[in-house]
Amino acid sequence: MIAVQDRKLALWNIGVAYAAFLIGTLCGLLQVFIRNDALQLPAWLDYYQILTAHGVLLALIFTTFFIFGFFITGMSKSLGSFGPKVRLFSWVGFWVTLLGTVMATAMIVAGEASVLYTFYAPLKASGFYYVGLALVIIGTWISSFALVGHYRVWRKNNKGQLSPLFAFMTITTIIMWIIACLGVVATVVFQYIPWAFGWTDTIDVELSRTLFWFFGHPLVYFWLLPAYMAWYVIVPKILGVKVFSDSLARLSFVLFILFSIPVGFHHQLTEPGISNFWKFLQVVLTFMVIVPSLMTAFSMFATFEIAGRKNGGKGLFGWFTKLPWKDIRFTSIFIAMAFFIPGGAGGIINASFQLNEVVHNTLWIVGHFHITVGTPVAMTFMGLTFWLIPYLTGRKFTKAMKMLGLVQIITWSIGMLLMSTSQHILGLLGAPRRTAYSGYNNHPSAMEWFDGILTNHVTMAVGGSILFVSAMILIYIVVMTMFLSPKAIEEKDLVDFPMAESDMSRTPKWLENWWIWIGLAVLLIAVAYAIPLSHMIQHAPPGSEGFKTW
Amino acid sequence: MSQENREPEPNLKGTLVSVFIVGLIIIVMWIAVYLMYVAR
Repeated sequence: MIAVQDRKLALWNIGVAYAAFLIGTLCGLLQVFIRNDALQLPAWLDYYQILTAHGVLLALIFTTFFIFGFFITGMSKSLGSFGPKVRLFSWVGFWVTLLGTVMATAMIVAGEASVLYTFYAPLKASGFYYVGLALVIIGTWISSFALVGHYRVWRKNNKGQLSPLFAFMTITTIIMWIIACLGVVATVVFQYIPWAFGWTDTIDVELSRTLFWFFGHPLVYFWLLPAYMAWYVIVPKILGVKVFSDSLARLSFVLFILFSIPVGFHHQLTEPGISNFWKFLQVVLTFMVIVPSLMTAFSMFATFEIAGRKNGGKGLFGWFTKLPWKDIRFTSIFIAMAFFIPGGAGGIINASFQLNEVVHNTLWIVGHFHITVGTPVAMTFMGLTFWLIPYLTGRKFTKAMKMLGLVQIITWSIGMLLMSTSQHILGLLGAPRRTAYSGYNNHPSAMEWFDGILTNHVTMAVGGSILFVSAMILIYIVVMTMFLSPKAIEEKDLVDFPMAESDMSRTPKWLENWWIWIGLAVLLIAVAYAIPLSHMIQHAPPGSEGFKTW
Repeated sequence: MSQENREPEPNLKGTLVSVFIVGLIIIVMWIAVYLMYVAR
């Protein structure tokens, strides 16, 4: 069990994460019903407000707070209790992030920031919305530096040793996050804030989007890497085996530092103002990032097979039936991984230069991020929540809660399958994203999109409703395990943090030489961005004034 | 490490087939959207 003060820190982070989750999923439900014409919003609330709140609160806030709750717990467990300075800065980081969250949310609620979570210029929100977002980033930096400080103390006391795998992966994620945020900080501080407060009249739209996507793609990996950490470090322990390969796990993580950042142009493939060469180069680099993901897939299958065979599984796939399917800690994460197979394949399609033209501004993309961040990441976090909160509160994870957990995971899977499949198909047919429902004046071609069994409004509404029920079950589990479940008094009732043993005896030391990886990352970023960015600045088109379309 | 001391290699035939299946899903989905792109 980790120190009480560290537990408190982690619990506050997780608590805020689930408060954001509650509001965010409610916004999701409302959207489904508005699109279905089953609900009319009051005059003071509009679709785009809800859409912005849904994206910001789930994709940015829920994930960020949960990730720090998970990191804090794991770092305290693997490297020892935090010192007073680390604790202090972790709290400062938490409060600054929370202040930014409240500020940005207040602006959305006030109808001053219906700009969606990508806040594309020239849509113009209140300056306080951008200040709120900047505070969120600054808060995460403070929390990140606190964890780096904790790691440095450990390294000083354990000279020449490789750090535990969990700590290594946390630091990798943080390094990637800090480099990635430089893009969004630059655009928010130097472009959006002066423009939104009226200190400048216009904004360079192309530059702002480029700096946003410098951050936006690695943001995806900021969500995904903590999920991968659970897959690499937690799952083997639940299965009763060691980490498949310590070197492979570490190598795949450092490859994410290299290849997750210089790839932002694959989100801008349809934009003029960036020459094809630079788009192509970044598409190639995007395909490089597939390598560590496939290494992860291989490593996971190997872990399953070794565990299944150990339990008596025979033949080519006999091991599959010997996995602990009744253990919700495992089943949740396994389903999350399964969703990532079509999710990852969809990502490769999105990033493939010409194929992007088929899907770019369509609902396919919305379906895609619901089966990437919305399930593989979110469901992994759910799977962690089931034991992480009882571990931190010292309460029991009762049989009833385990059963409910199973119901929650199954309902989430069914709801997501219905909703995201429909979104993928609608996208391929041409239905647009980032807009409220539009039938293009009841044009027959647009009407036909919604005739299919999977693509009609009722199926989508059923899918969305099942997801909301699932989210509420999860909130119930969170409240119970946080405040109401009986305290675990006997040893057998104590919930453990499953952290697998990782054999480091043959892991090369250079994998933990951060200067190599940071240096190479900076080099790749320079190659991919220096020239196109300088062109963009030197040959900037006239800026755009702001638009408020709501 | 000498040959005698090395742990026996685990049987990972199922893993090999599984990753091929994942690869196949990626290729099939990609080709499907590619054909759609060409057809349009």
